[in-house]
Amino acid sequence: MTYLKMKARKVELQLARIVVIVVSTLLLASTGKAATPGITAAAGGASRFNLTAAANYISQPDGMQIYSWGYGCAGAATYAPATFASVGFCPTMQIPGPTLIVTEGQTVTVTLTNNLPGRANASIVFPGFNVSATGGAAGLQTREALPGGSVTYTFQATTPGTRAYYSGTQPDFQIEMGLYGAVVVLPSSAPGTGTGQCASLGSDIAQVRLGAGNTGHDLRLASAAYDHPETCYDREYLFQFMELDPRIHRQAEEQALAMVTCPPGGTNTTTGDPCPMTLNVMTEPYRPVYYLINGRAMPDDMDADYAPNYTHQPYNGNPHMHPGDLVLVRIVGQGRWAHPFHEHGNHVRLLARDGNLILSQNVGTTGRADLAGRMEFTTDTYPGQAMDGIFYWSGKGLGWDIYGHTPAFAGANVPCNPNTSGPNAGFDTSSTAIANGNYFEWCADHHHPLEQNPLGQIASGGPVAQFDSTIATHGLWDAGTPYLGENATTRNKGATPLAPGKASQNPLQESGIAFMWHSHNEREITTNDIFPGGMLMMMLVDPPDFFIDETL
Amino acid sequence: MRKTNQICLLTILLCLAPLAAKAQNPKVQGGGSFLVQCPQYTPFHPAAAPSAYPTPTTQSQDNSQNYVGPVSVSETINGVPITYVSNGGAIKCQEISGGDGMMTEADGNQTFMFSFGPLSGLDNIKHGLPGTLLNSDFNGVYSDAAGTHNGYYNSPTLPSVCAAGAPSSCPTAGAAGIAGGAITDPTFDPSRPPNTNAAIADPATIMTVGVLNGSIPAPLMAFDEDDEFFLTLSNVGMIMRPDLFEQHTVHFHGYPNASSYYDGVPDASWAINIGGSATYYYMAPDAGTYFWHCHVTPPEHLQMGMVGQLYVRPRQNRVTLGNGLYQSLVGCLGSNGCIGAGASQAGQQSDLRTACNTSSRTNQDILCSTPVPQADSHFTQILDPFIGTDPRIPAGTRLKYAYNDGDGSTWYNVDVPLQIHGFDPNFHFVGMTFNPEGFADMKDKYFLLNGRSYPDTVGAQAIGTEDTDGRTRFSQPLPSLIALYQGERALLRLSDLDVTEYQTLASLGIPMQLVGYQAKLLRDQAGNNLPMTTNSVTLGGGESLDVILDSCLVRSTTVVAGSVPACTTPVPKGTYFLYTPNLDHLSNDAENFGGLMTEVVVQ
Repeated sequence: MTYLKMKARKVELQLARIVVIVVSTLLLASTGKAATPGITAAAGGASRFNLTAAANYISQPDGMQIYSWGYGCAGAATYAPATFASVGFCPTMQIPGPTLIVTEGQTVTVTLTNNLPGRANASIVFPGFNVSATGGAAGLQTREALPGGSVTYTFQATTPGTRAYYSGTQPDFQIEMGLYGAVVVLPSSAPGTGTGQCASLGSDIAQVRLGAGNTGHDLRLASAAYDHPETCYDREYLFQFMELDPRIHRQAEEQALAMVTCPPGGTNTTTGDPCPMTLNVMTEPYRPVYYLINGRAMPDDMDADYAPNYTHQPYNGNPHMHPGDLVLVRIVGQGRWAHPFHEHGNHVRLLARDGNLILSQNVGTTGRADLAGRMEFTTDTYPGQAMDGIFYWSGKGLGWDIYGHTPAFAGANVPCNPNTSGPNAGFDTSSTAIANGNYFEWCADHHHPLEQNPLGQIASGGPVAQFDSTIATHGLWDAGTPYLGENATTRNKGATPLAPGKASQNPLQESGIAFMWHSHNEREITTNDIFPGGMLMMMLVDPPDFFIDETL
Repeated sequence: MRKTNQICLLTILLCLAPLAAKAQNPKVQGGGSFLVQCPQYTPFHPAAAPSAYPTPTTQSQDNSQNYVGPVSVSETINGVPITYVSNGGAIKCQEISGGDGMMTEADGNQTFMFSFGPLSGLDNIKHGLPGTLLNSDFNGVYSDAAGTHNGYYNSPTLPSVCAAGAPSSCPTAGAAGIAGGAITDPTFDPSRPPNTNAAIADPATIMTVGVLNGSIPAPLMAFDEDDEFFLTLSNVGMIMRPDLFEQHTVHFHGYPNASSYYDGVPDASWAINIGGSATYYYMAPDAGTYFWHCHVTPPEHLQMGMVGQLYVRPRQNRVTLGNGLYQSLVGCLGSNGCIGAGASQAGQQSDLRTACNTSSRTNQDILCSTPVPQADSHFTQILDPFIGTDPRIPAGTRLKYAYNDGDGSTWYNVDVPLQIHGFDPNFHFVGMTFNPEGFADMKDKYFLLNGRSYPDTVGAQAIGTEDTDGRTRFSQPLPSLIALYQGERALLRLSDLDVTEYQTLASLGIPMQLVGYQAKLLRDQAGNNLPMTTNSVTLGGGESLDVILDSCLVRSTTVVAGSVPACTTPVPKGTYFLYTPNLDHLSNDAENFGGLMTEVVVQ
C-alpha cells in the first residue's frame, strides 16, 4: 500500500491499529529476553566481515511494511554470543545492520558489496577509528562501492567500547533509509577473577546472578566493558535509536521502481523525457512517525532476538535482570534527532562516550583512576553518538522489605544475613539466600513490610494502608503486589489484593517488578500517532530464583 | 487511548459495585473510596521518638533537629521486636487532586489542561512554597475565618461535622498509625487545630475544591532526607471532559532504587480511577532535584500539563552549628578529629544506607550519590549570613546545601525551583473539544517557566483563571522572578518536562555554576568536584540539573572558619535575564516577544 492510500484510510485504520496493538500486546511472548547479539569473525581468524547493502521491507506494529535499505551479510556469519548460533540469522539486509563484535587490538576488515537499487553508491564510515579504504570509487567522505561493486575498509580496533557505523554516502537520505549499525570492541585485557577483579564467570555469585542452578547461560561478550574493574558487568544490552519518516521511504520505493521500467539513459515512453539518472528523494520537511529501538517499535521490540516474524529486524529491546545485577547498556543514537531516554528504576553510570572511558584526574591508591562519568536517570543519545553505562537495581533504601518478609506470616519468615564488609556490605549474598529466593536482599529493611495486616482489623503493622485494588486499573505487568517473588501476592496484605497471576506480561512463575524504559520526548512513545508504541520497553527485575533465559 | 477509555467505562462501573459494600466500614473507608493517609506514627518515626531525634515541631527541620549520625533504635510492633537505624527526619504528607483546570497564557489565551491541583498546603502553594507538610500540620482541620481561601470554598459543614466528640465515622485525614504498639484512632483527633494548610479529607470537599483546581506546574513538593513521604492522589475526574474516564498516577521521576509499585507507570503497576484515592509512600531518596508527573498516556497527559516539581534537601542542612561538614560524612571519631562543639559522633559513612562506598575501590557502589571529598575543606555549619538582610530567611536558619557535599561547595541561600515546559495550543484546544489528538504533529507554541511565559514570569502574585463556572481559581501560583541581595547565591533547581524538544536556558551577565546533574552531585568517584561554569544549560524532556547563580563575581579563596567565602566583587545591582537562546521559544504563540525568559534582580 502506498503512503497516499494509507493516509486516505487513516481514520478507518485508527481503530484497526488500536486493536492490532492491543492484541499484539496481549499476545506478546513474555519470554523475549535479549543480550547483545551480533556477528564475529570465526574463532582464531582475523576480524573479517563481508557485508552487503540492499533494499527490503521492515514491519511495524501498525501492520505497515516499510521499504528500507540496510546492511546485511554477504554469506554465512558466525554469531556471538555462541548460544545464538542455532537461532541466529543474518540476511542480506537488516535493520540495524549486523552488530560487528571484535576485540581490542584486532585488525578489522569489512568488505561491502553494493546491492542497493536506484544506482546509489554505498559506503560505511566508522567514526572513532582510523580507516583505510580500498576498491570502489572515491566518494566525499570515504571510498564508495559502485552499484554491484564492492569496497573494503580496514581499521585497527584500538580501544574497547560501543561505536556507531553508518553510511558515508548522502547520509541525510541513506541513514534515514536504514543504513546504520554498531561496532562493539571487547577489551583485550578485561579484568579476570580475583580480588579487585570481575566476578568469576563460574563462581556462585555470577551464576546466581545469571540464574540459580543454570550454568552455561552466561551471555556476556566479555566480563567487563573496558580494561577496568569498575566496568565489570553481569548482563548487557544494545539499543540503537532511530526515527523514521515513511514519506521518504515511499519516495525511494517509487523512484527505485520507476527506474526499472525507465532505466537511466533511456527515455520515458509516455513523456519522451530522459529517464532520471539517480534517485531524487526529498528529505525535508521531515515528519517522522515511527520511533524505533533496534529497528522495532513497542511492542515488537519486546519480542525475542531473531524472532522469525521479523526477518529483517533481528535485534530486540527487552532487558531483564536480577536484583544487584550490573547491567551494561550500550546505546547508540542513529537518526537525526537526540532522544532523552529515561531509565525508570535507578540511574545509569555513564562509563564512556564513543568508546572513550571517562576517568578521574586522580590515580587512586590502586594505581588506576576511578570512574568520572555522570550518573543520569535520563540518558541523552545524540545523533551518531554511542554511550556505555551501567545500571543496577537493588531496592536499597526503600524503607520496606521488597519481598514483604515478616515474622507474622508463615512461609515469609526467612533470614537476611548481611555481608558485614566488602563491596556488597548490607546485602545478603549467602548461599542461604539463594535457597530462600532473597539473594541480594537489602537487609536493613528486612522484616519491614508495607503492611502486616489489612487496615481495619488491627494495627496494620507497617507505615501504609494499601488501597483497595478494585478502585484502580491494573497494567499488564502488574503482579498485584508491591513485592518481588513468586508467592509475593500472598504476602500483600492490602485490602482486596489482586488475584495472583493476572499480569499477562509478568506471569505468576516470573512475578518480577517492571520498570518502563522510554524516550522522555513522550511523543516518541507512539507509533504513527497511536499510543502506546515507539521507543518504549519494559525492564523486568526478576526474583533471584527465576531463571532469565536470554535466548528465548 | 480514546477507544480504550471507552472500553474502561465498563470496567469502572464493575469496579464501583464492591466499593459500595466497602464504604460500610467507616474505619477503613471514612471517605468512601477517597481515603487520605498521613499517619501520626510509623515504625520508623514512632511515638516514642529516640532522644537523639525528637519529633520535629516545625516544618523547617533546620531549627528543630540536629543531624547527629546514625542511631540504632529498637521497638516492638505487634509484639514483634524490630531494630533499625535512624538518621532523624519526620513524617511528611501532601495531598493532590488529579483532574483538569484552566490556565492563562502570557498573551491572554485561556488554555485547558489535564492537571493536578493542591488539596493540602493551600496557603503555602499560594505563596509559592511547597505544599508538603509535617503530619501534625497536615492533619489539622482545613479552615479560615472567611470560609473561603485562595479562591477555594471551604466545606461549610466540615468544622461542625468534625467537632469534638464527633463520631468515628467523621471523615478526616489520618490512617492507621502505631502508637506504642496500640493503634491510634484512624478517623478523628479533636485536638487538631484548624489551619489554612491542612489537608482536605472530606469527600464532598475534595470534590468541590478539587474539581478544576489544577495548576501548572502541579503542586510543589519538597522534603528532607530521612523523611517518610505520604502523597495522596485523589482522582476527581475531568469535568470539562465528561466523556473521558482517565486514570492518573504520580511518577517520582529519577528516584534511585525506585519501587515499581509506587512508580506510577500504569502498565507496570496501577492507576487510580475517578472517585478514588491512593497513597504513595516513599522513604525520601538521596538529596537532589527531581520532579514528578502523571504517567498515564504520557504524550498526552504531560503535554496537557500534569507535571510538577520535587526536591529533596540533604541531611547536611541539619548538621549541628559549628560542626564540620566533612566530619558529618566520615564521622569525628578518634583520628578524624572533631571540629567545633560537636561531640564525638558517627557520620553518614557509618550507616550503610547513607554511606557512599568508594573507599574499597572494588565493585563499589558505582551509583551512590556523594563520594566523600578528596580532602577536608574545614567548612563548618553556620547560620545563613543573610539573616537580617534578606527577609525571606527567618532567624535561626542554617546555611543550605544542594547535596551532602562534605565540603560546603554547594552552599546557597535561596531555593529557586524552575520547571521548563511547552504547550501546544492546538493540542490543548483539540483536547478540550472532544477530538482525538495527533502526536506526530505536536508543536509547542508557548514556552513556560513555572507555567508562565514572559512577562508573566516576573509577576509576584499567583495568577488565577476564571473557569466555566465563573469562579476564579489559582492556576499558576509560582513566579520565577529571582531576587538576590549582593553576595547571595540562588540554587536554580531546573527541570524540563517538554515532551517534544530540547530546551536551552542561558544567563545574561551572571555565570551559571552547574553543580548537580539529574539529582546527583557532580563529583567523580575519587572525590573530585566536577562543577562546570557556563552561561547556558540544555535539558531534554525528563532531565533536571542544579545551577548556582552567585550574585558575587569574585570570592576570597581564603577559608575562614565559620563563614562563607567573602565576596570581594559583587555583581552590580540591577536586572539580569535568564532566557532561552532557542530563539523561536522567545514567543507567546503569535507574539514574537516573550516565551522562556525571566529576570534576576540583584539588590
